[in-house]
Amino acid sequence: MNFELFLHYRPWLMAAEVTLIWSFVTIGLYWLSKRFHRRYKKWWTTPIIITPILLIVITLLSHTNYNVYIRGTHWLMALLGPATVAFAIPIYRRRNIIVLYWKTLSIGVVFGSILSIASAWFLASAVGIDDTIRLSLLPRSISTPFAMVISGEIGGVPELTALFVILTGIFGASFGQLALYWLPLKSKLSMGASFGLAAHVAGSSKAYELDNEVGTIAALVMVLTGIFNVLIAPLLEAVLS
Amino acid sequence: MLSYTFKKTSILIKRTFHKSRILQIALITVLWFIAQEISLLTRMPIPGGVIGLVLVLALLYFDLLSIRSLALGAEWFLAEMLLFFIPAVPAVLNHQEFFGWTGLKILAIIIVGTMIVIIGTAIVVDFSFYKLEKQPQPENKQ
Repeated sequence: MNFELFLHYRPWLMAAEVTLIWSFVTIGLYWLSKRFHRRYKKWWTTPIIITPILLIVITLLSHTNYNVYIRGTHWLMALLGPATVAFAIPIYRRRNIIVLYWKTLSIGVVFGSILSIASAWFLASAVGIDDTIRLSLLPRSISTPFAMVISGEIGGVPELTALFVILTGIFGASFGQLALYWLPLKSKLSMGASFGLAAHVAGSSKAYELDNEVGTIAALVMVLTGIFNVLIAPLLEAVLS
Repeated sequence: MLSYTFKKTSILIKRTFHKSRILQIALITVLWFIAQEISLLTRMPIPGGVIGLVLVLALLYFDLLSIRSLALGAEWFLAEMLLFFIPAVPAVLNHQEFFGWTGLKILAIIIVGTMIVIIGTAIVVDFSFYKLEKQPQPENKQ
């Protein structure tokens, strides 16, 4: 092998450098903020709030374009795929919940999905936002891979939707706990369902922190909501146009 | 003799899998990759991750895969999930228009909308749980 030629192949080396540096920075900051969160348990110290803020500051200070950053860290986002697969294990362990409460679960998924789409539509119309952004906002409460598919189908911008989905997840996971604490709820089913429906994977992950069973229900509802939304997307498109 | 050796090796592989988190993480990733290919080949509008989830559920249900050869890996994926979201957030830097009035409007829609969805879903599910389901078990109450 011609090693010299290999060394002078700059694009490859640059891609490797970008990947190494930005992956290291991202994982490092995540790891540090996790330790920080364990020490100081406040809602604003959670890694999903602190790490992105630090990352934005660092990318701005080093004059790095986001396109360069995401080229180096795209593989981390791709791991959301296997992470979705991983939800099979808790769901399988608690499959009796589906058998027992299929009625309530389906009511929750259908009602919550409609509420989510309708609330985005009416709020966006109320404050007056242009149409592409409004359409991109509609599938914001379901997990990223589903949301991007639907967004493209109904005429939104999938990349914008991905960002809105993340913001919804961050907010839903942080606020969900507070809201459910204030509401006079009695069943774990309702806590899990609202976490999974409103804040997809981020909500499910938060729900796991609170309680194993609530987390399982959240994961289940998240998956069901995603599938339900993909199925009604053609209908939604017909209604919108 | 040959079948004996084969049996012994397969037991050894199983045991290693049941203990090793890294192997399980790799296995889940491979399963996802296969599901991704299925999703691309059949042109279903369903993302690979979800096809993989259904695939794994089927494998578990038909006893083709034991839960012990996935549990440790799945635990890791679920625990570190937040990390996989983080790279998407600095995307706001690509949208200068969000650092202003439009950005505030979008944030307000997301915050108010999410609050509506959380509260609405929780109330409806709670109501349905006590009206529709036959026997609310004591351990489901808090």
